[in-house]
Amino acid sequence: MSERLNIVDHNQLFRQEKYVRQREGKRAFEAPCSPEEVTSTLEYTKTTEYKDKNFARTAVVVNPAKACQPLGAVMAALGFEKTLPFIHGSQGCTAYFRSHLARHFKEPVPAVSTSMTEDAAVFGGMRNLIDGIENCIALYQPQMIAVCTTCMAEVIGDDLSAFLANARQEGALPEDMPVPFANTPSFSGSHITGYDAMLRSVLETLYNKSGRTPQPGHELKLNVLLGFEGYTGNFAEMRRILELFGVPYTILGDHSSNFDSGATGEYSYYYGGTPLEDVPKAADAAGTLAIQQHSLRKTLGYIKRTWGQQLSSISTPLGIRATDRLLEEISRLSGIEIPEALKQERARILDAMMDSHTYLHGKRVAMAGDPDMLIGLIGFCLELGMEPVHIVCSNGDRKFEKEAELLLKSSPYGTEATVHCGQDLWHMRSLLFEDPVDLAIGSSHLKFAAKEANIPLLRVGFPIFDRHHLHRYPIIGYQGALNLLTQFVNTILDVMEEQAPDHSFDLVR
Amino acid sequence: MEAAVSNGRLEVSCGNKIPKSTPCPRPVPGEASGGCSFDGAQITLIPIADAAHLVHGPIACLGNSWESRGSLSSGPELSAYGFTTDLGEQDIIFGGEQKLHESIRYIVSRFAPPAVFVYTTCVTALTGEDIEGVCKAESERLGTPIIPVNSPGFVGSKNLGTRLAGDVLFQQVIGTTEPEQTTSHDVNLIGEYNIAGEMWHIERLMQQTGMSILSRITGDGRFREVGWAHRAKVNMVVCSRALLGLAVQMERKYSIPYFEGSFYGARETSYSLRQMAYLTGDRDVERRVDKLAAREEMRLSLELEPYRKQLKGKRAVLYTGGVKSWSVITALQELGIKVVGVGTNKSTAEDVSRIAARIGDDAEYIPEGGARQILKTVRSRKADMVIAGGRNMYMALKEQVPFVDINQERHKAYAGYDGLLSLAKQLVHTLQHPVWGLAAKLAPWEEETEFAD
Ligand code: SF4
Repeated sequence: MSERLNIVDHNQLFRQEKYVRQREGKRAFEAPCSPEEVTSTLEYTKTTEYKDKNFARTAVVVNPAKACQPLGAVMAALGFEKTLPFIHGSQGCTAYFRSHLARHFKEPVPAVSTSMTEDAAVFGGMRNLIDGIENCIALYQPQMIAVCTTCMAEVIGDDLSAFLANARQEGALPEDMPVPFANTPSFSGSHITGYDAMLRSVLETLYNKSGRTPQPGHELKLNVLLGFEGYTGNFAEMRRILELFGVPYTILGDHSSNFDSGATGEYSYYYGGTPLEDVPKAADAAGTLAIQQHSLRKTLGYIKRTWGQQLSSISTPLGIRATDRLLEEISRLSGIEIPEALKQERARILDAMMDSHTYLHGKRVAMAGDPDMLIGLIGFCLELGMEPVHIVCSNGDRKFEKEAELLLKSSPYGTEATVHCGQDLWHMRSLLFEDPVDLAIGSSHLKFAAKEANIPLLRVGFPIFDRHHLHRYPIIGYQGALNLLTQFVNTILDVMEEQAPDHSFDLVR
Repeated sequence: MEAAVSNGRLEVSCGNKIPKSTPCPRPVPGEASGGCSFDGAQITLIPIADAAHLVHGPIACLGNSWESRGSLSSGPELSAYGFTTDLGEQDIIFGGEQKLHESIRYIVSRFAPPAVFVYTTCVTALTGEDIEGVCKAESERLGTPIIPVNSPGFVGSKNLGTRLAGDVLFQQVIGTTEPEQTTSHDVNLIGEYNIAGEMWHIERLMQQTGMSILSRITGDGRFREVGWAHRAKVNMVVCSRALLGLAVQMERKYSIPYFEGSFYGARETSYSLRQMAYLTGDRDVERRVDKLAAREEMRLSLELEPYRKQLKGKRAVLYTGGVKSWSVITALQELGIKVVGVGTNKSTAEDVSRIAARIGDDAEYIPEGGARQILKTVRSRKADMVIAGGRNMYMALKEQVPFVDINQERHKAYAGYDGLLSLAKQLVHTLQHPVWGLAAKLAPWEEETEFAD
């Protein structure tokens, strides 16, 4: 069986000698420099001198670690029931968003484009928008259409609200169909800003449409916001915690079922999400809890101003202290005591951390990712006695930087760290060579730099294209801490084993 | 295939016009759509592995796309780096040309590439950045070719972008260098992207018959070798109608005869090799090709035997872009598979007539329109599997339909004789996987309810 099942893929196939020789023939004309020169230049790029030149670079971005606003807007839209993400601009970006999200979640992603072309660029995209709306309603029967722009539509200055009004007037858009929209040019912000802009617009549109006035505290319910969330498992974990508390809740923007649906034998465009009618009711809740802050600024501002309820926002609850904080906040907002089961869970995870602590203690780490995730990761690393050294946040700003620095200062393990906002993964590569670390934490994109520097990569964050199912396991809460811990410590053990000399290939670790 | 010789010259029934005369179909607003022209241009040029590829625009175009191609390189990896000017609001208002100047200089001084391709995107095309001017100035200043690629997303489809990239190569690259040596058996492969190393298979076959590849356009290509493509004796356009224009232009200017062919399936592979050999005009080479083809086909048919048995009569829906929609059909038919539905997404009228020549009216023609259309055909035609690209994979799996990936991201090479064997194995394995059986059976409690009824 196994012989028959072995189809060699390109990794194995082209290692065969005949192919190796064939490829060597090609070297003759590709680079006019000698192998020695190639090696010495490569070595040079690992020096401090090169690093300084690299950090002096301002114009070009090499290997970016962020995506653009509309990608986030698509994710936000898919957090609501029967909602079709609709992107106003030319068609290419939409294809990218769909494949980007599909490669991470391994799920189909519905999203359509107004497919603007040259004449739309000259005369404006109103016709495309109106025709597009008509077509997509006929094809996909959505309950809500969430429109966002690309940089192209922004540059020509298309006026979405006027266009949508015209679409209604023409009858292309039914009167009662909610159409939230967000301006999401990719020349500012990143995917998290786009997420925020769209979520805010959805809440505002649905709320305004209901014609209610808010009665905060009228319902003993919590609104929960997870933000730009690459882990469907985090939604499940959040629900489990809230159910242990016995707190009634509404998750505002729950894209977990759209990105984790079953193979039932029938494909559908929509697999759940927050029911639209829950949004206006959310204004009457006792409070709102957000477990990302940097990616929800506008949304939280809106809730505070308009719904006027108790608000609590924390960074992604990774590790023990951050989860403690989460439970305290739930308890404070709901007035319910922290359940015994969770207290026991905490003790068990602490036990697990003690079991593994010797392997992680003192390990130096580099990390790259989104702001909220990084704050969580820094906190957890410090708890594990790991030392964050290089922190690269392409889409982080001053506010994030301050928060990160404050957190790092709170522990002796954080004293070595430097925070680099607005930098890319080529900067990270220089950092890894100049001051090597034991582990790198970040998305799949970080694998190239990590491999070159010969550092194992722990895949945490978004996007993860090259590993399966990681996003199905929660990383938040005590249970999530255990999952991360398992991944961290076993990676280190794998590496030890690989490098083990005969005398220390131990059975028990 | 429909190549014929008249007046001692090769004519290809589908390609004597520059295909510009048949415009690519316009994308429809409000439908799930494919990639843009920028994407097409990028996909065509990025396999030139030692060049740097700089995207001039906001983060959108590169941030969501870098390092996701499946073209392999046997050496340099520079084209795998994601370079972008990442324009911000200030740049949009005050212009990003200065940033572009600096970016080019940085790339050339730090990475020393033989050339830099600079891509326009929607935004920089709209704001009227003088990209050509900047490239020209920097080329002169740095002594490195800096090549503008004017193919912003909004001009149209991915195919159009591929075509525009072909024009860029014709106008600005081909004819700029000279090969160290040439032979009378030099062939250019145009539109072969070395997905999963497919080109290396083909190259080996060609070597065995005494033919060689002069320029790879562009899979595993190098900038200099594309430059001397005008010295080849034959151009083969591999499965990429959009690059046909390049071959036509090269025939006009450099008198290089061309033909269109494919390496999917043993028959097409033998045909393509024969055609190449014929066009080099060397009888010896032709004889060697004949021998090789006979030997390989014989060997293959023995090795395929067990797989053919299992695949015979299986029904497949094939959904892939343009030319591949017909070239893969032959390969599947050689394995005994019946194609009951085929995508005509991005296909031209010629493509469709070639599909018809292969499967007749037996199959359903699936127009653009994505998921629903494909699944409808699968159900109505009782297909056993879907063969398509990654974007359609997950929805097929939702329907519990066995799926084989045929597009750019796969890791297995299906071209050439060995490739057909790999494809056969892959199809059998996919169909036989236990998970389909598991999914098709009812859960035990469901069975019991039925029983109770
Ligand atoms: S459509 Fe325009 S903005 Fe979008 S990816 Fe293509 S070039 Fe970039």
